[in-house]
Amino acid sequence: MMIFIGADYAALGLSPEELQTRMGKWFAWGNKMEQAGILRGGEALTPQVRRIVGENRTVSDLASAEIKEIVGGYYTVEAKDFDAVQAIAQDFPDYDLGGTVEIREIMVFDR
Amino acid sequence: MDHLFRHHSGKMVSVLTRIFGLKHLDIIEDAVQDTFIKASISWRKEQPQNPEAWLTQAAKNRVIDIFRKLKSQRNHLPSLSLGTDTIAINELFLDTEIEDAQLRMIFTACHPKLDPRDRISFALKTVSGFSIKEIASALLTKEDTIKKRLSRARKAIQKNDLKFSIPNGKLLHNRLESVMEVLYLIFNEGFHSNTKTQLIRSDLCGEAMRLCQLLLRRVAIRTPEVYALFALMCFHSARLEAKINSDNELLDLKNQDRSLWHFPLIQLGNTMMNKAVEIDSLSCYHYEAAIAAEHLRAKTFEDTNWKKLLYWYEQLNHLQPMPIHQLTMAVISMQNNEYSKAHAFFNLLKPNDFEQRAYLFYAAKADYFFETDNFNNALIYIDKALKTVTNTLEKNYLEKKKSNWLS
Repeated sequence: MMIFIGADYAALGLSPEELQTRMGKWFAWGNKMEQAGILRGGEALTPQVRRIVGENRTVSDLASAEIKEIVGGYYTVEAKDFDAVQAIAQDFPDYDLGGTVEIREIMVFDR
Repeated sequence: MDHLFRHHSGKMVSVLTRIFGLKHLDIIEDAVQDTFIKASISWRKEQPQNPEAWLTQAAKNRVIDIFRKLKSQRNHLPSLSLGTDTIAINELFLDTEIEDAQLRMIFTACHPKLDPRDRISFALKTVSGFSIKEIASALLTKEDTIKKRLSRARKAIQKNDLKFSIPNGKLLHNRLESVMEVLYLIFNEGFHSNTKTQLIRSDLCGEAMRLCQLLLRRVAIRTPEVYALFALMCFHSARLEAKINSDNELLDLKNQDRSLWHFPLIQLGNTMMNKAVEIDSLSCYHYEAAIAAEHLRAKTFEDTNWKKLLYWYEQLNHLQPMPIHQLTMAVISMQNNEYSKAHAFFNLLKPNDFEQRAYLFYAAKADYFFETDNFNNALIYIDKALKTVTNTLEKNYLEKKKSNWLS
């Protein structure tokens, strides 16, 4: 699973043209994974966050001030190992906006 | 999908402004920005069948959101029920009404109460959906300056309670002049880019042409001057591709591959020009278009009709005396081997007349000295040009010329 963190478009003041260009890159990346037959799923997440923490169940709403922490979405892909996913993650479009890709392996349990 | 968001942004901001009024421009721009962010994220996986319709529907939905937001700010706003008001709002999203709203926005951007320096930035932001960063790089200005210009324009709109409308009669005539000037400047910024590297120059040309076409669609605004301005843009744009070679070097008219000139644009320009001359007194735009057309008419550089060009420039300079015209006349006189005439034109001019484009003066004068066998002065002047030029491509061009002279 590739988890996308940071790069909240709303906080960056991008122009419509810039947004469209960026969307095109995401689209191309998705197509590439689909054509390679490795894409299994994925969703975009809205930036609103509600977090419940600790014994007191403290509730907080994270505003976009903490954009670094916001997970913007994820893709699940099927690949041989970390290196293969790292290679496909080279095309992640938002590195230049300070975005991060986190790669995690989904654990498969024996039945 | 080409520029869909940018063009749609101008449409949406304009229509929503028509509904809510200019004083809510801030909220409207935020709402439109928001719609695009939403689209850019949700379309990552799959684009809708009809993106344009999707965006228009999103804009309509926004109307309700904005009403709610405004209502929470002040309670005396009418409540928007889903009955007849919705029908009225749907009407405002018809194509002709969208165009009307965009025209209103262009005319607002050129209102005399707005500082002329602020008009271009404001138009690029609201009508063309440029970000502050993009405007700053297009106009070779700091982002802070652009921010100041935009907020000054907004304040002027609020303070004078400007109406979102296209004026009539004599007022229309005056305002249209300012609109044409703004479009001309946007186009020029694209065509003679002052930026260090290329960036978005052809975008600016395209945007100016799109807005000019909007003017031509309206009978009351479709004047011969607007046709002439559009013809001028067509003629210049036809040469855009040929201005730079594959090594990203600037090519002057002499060295351009004329087969790269875009013929359909020349044709369109000619058609526009025919409509433009149905008038007795010609404008600056007419003469500038005539000059551009004269260059395009020549099969080779040597075939250029310099006598005719000098005539057009004399007419233009008569109507609108400017140092840059006189400088060009000096250059043309050299093409005609009339060096004393060129000298006389140079004597009318000082480098300061050209501000940040002083290098044009120095470079032309360097040519003059080279042609009249005053080699030392030619070198002195080309060095002055090199010292003041900002655009890298133009700098390379001048450096190449200098090294040719030295070899």
